[in-house]
Amino acid sequence: MGTSVPAAGTLAGLSNDLAEAVTRASRSVVAIHGRRRIPSSGVVWGPGVVVTANHTLTRDEDISLTLPDGGTGVATLAGRDPTTDIAVLRTDSSLPPAERAPDANLQVGRLVLAVGRPGPEVTASLGIVSAVGGEWRTWQGGRVDRFVRLDLSVYDGFSGGPLVEAGGRVLGINTSGLTRAMAVALPVATVDRVAGELVKKGHVTRGYLGLAVQPVRLPGPMRQELGLAGRMGLVIINLEAGGPADRAGLLLGDIITGVEGEDVSDPSDILTFLGPERVGKEAKLRIVRAGKTKPVAITVGERPRKGH
Amino acid sequence: MATTAVLQGLSGFESELNAAAERLRRITVQARTHRMGEGSGVIWSRSGLVVSNAHVARAGSLEIELWDGRVFEGRVRWRDPRRDLALITIPATGLPEAVPGDAGALRPGDLVLALGHPFGLANALALGVVHGLAAGPGRNRWIRADIRLAPGNSGGPLANVAGEVIGLNTLVAGGLAHAIPVSVVQRFLAETGEQAA
Repeated sequence: MGTSVPAAGTLAGLSNDLAEAVTRASRSVVAIHGRRRIPSSGVVWGPGVVVTANHTLTRDEDISLTLPDGGTGVATLAGRDPTTDIAVLRTDSSLPPAERAPDANLQVGRLVLAVGRPGPEVTASLGIVSAVGGEWRTWQGGRVDRFVRLDLSVYDGFSGGPLVEAGGRVLGINTSGLTRAMAVALPVATVDRVAGELVKKGHVTRGYLGLAVQPVRLPGPMRQELGLAGRMGLVIINLEAGGPADRAGLLLGDIITGVEGEDVSDPSDILTFLGPERVGKEAKLRIVRAGKTKPVAITVGERPRKGH
Repeated sequence: MATTAVLQGLSGFESELNAAAERLRRITVQARTHRMGEGSGVIWSRSGLVVSNAHVARAGSLEIELWDGRVFEGRVRWRDPRRDLALITIPATGLPEAVPGDAGALRPGDLVLALGHPFGLANALALGVVHGLAAGPGRNRWIRADIRLAPGNSGGPLANVAGEVIGLNTLVAGGLAHAIPVSVVQRFLAETGEQAA
């Protein structure tokens, strides 16, 4: 066969490394019974703390775990963040937290495994990291530190399970809840940040204005007269009585054209602006009312928690 | 230096993959029933025993084409629809035969290879990993693999990286390939009495 010693058994060596990586990661991977269909997967993130994909938990109570040794564990919901699709559970079961890989290992072309436990046994799929980008916002406005796109099959029950590098350490959490067609992973930094906040407070703080908007095209003559650069504005179509926007004197039909000096043209521009760091601070809006521009100052509130 | 080492590793990987694919190609046959589509089969003994799926070997006889282009009429000797296995004989000797591997030693993440004739495309190789094991019909367990297969792979080999046959590709469900473990094939052969020579 091959002339060089390292070449002989390369394939067998790789195969063994991949299986070892799955075995190593699987010690921190549990099955989560929190919906009617097949269980989803979860990763032990800290002592007594399990993270999973929020969309896989359709109930808040009566959640149980299947542990790596086949035993059963009880879990209580510590909190959910639908915007990043992360939920945190607490459990008394003593399990080793997952080993994290350094963020620098998130590179395009890396061989990665998705590990899941949609039942008693661990399962795996193999692929590569196909794209790594900067920070992005989910469609619900959640902030994710890196965009990690995978060329890999995320099978039923894999959401909430770890993305594992060939060495067995965890690069992130897989979820199919944030995108339609492709597999993406939430990087460790995002899971650390969101899970930390959920453990501490039970929810993730988000800025809140208490209004709903819809994009409208601004007529050319109006833009010229008012000196507006953007073609679009956001017309206020709903106001929460007593909410921050209401208290600041905004009215239905006002058109928001700028926030803190930046043009806005899509409702997501406002969502993006409303990070946790804005809560309690003043935000300067530029609006058009009755054909005239007008500056408005709003004190950003904290988004109330639904159903609590 | 580091780059050279990586490239050597990669070329080693590729040449081993080539060698394993070549071993599999020689033991994989195309099984054709008259205009009823194509499947695959595995040469189980040098004296002309071929194993395939029952859903491939639907007629009493079928056309078996070997890796070297030779075509034989295969006779279906045993057919078990429950286990989806069939035993076919062809009038040939001195054939390359499958080396059975140990499917029990498989772990999720282990690399696996499949060879077959998806959509009639001869000798297509696929690479993937063991996904898991699950309860199958009866008390048998399927080998489930994260590997891209299609109709025409049925009856073909699922192999480990050494090129040893660990299962017979049988169906695709939920995007996953399902293979009958080699131990089940061996039990079937023992029951038929046509033990590999």
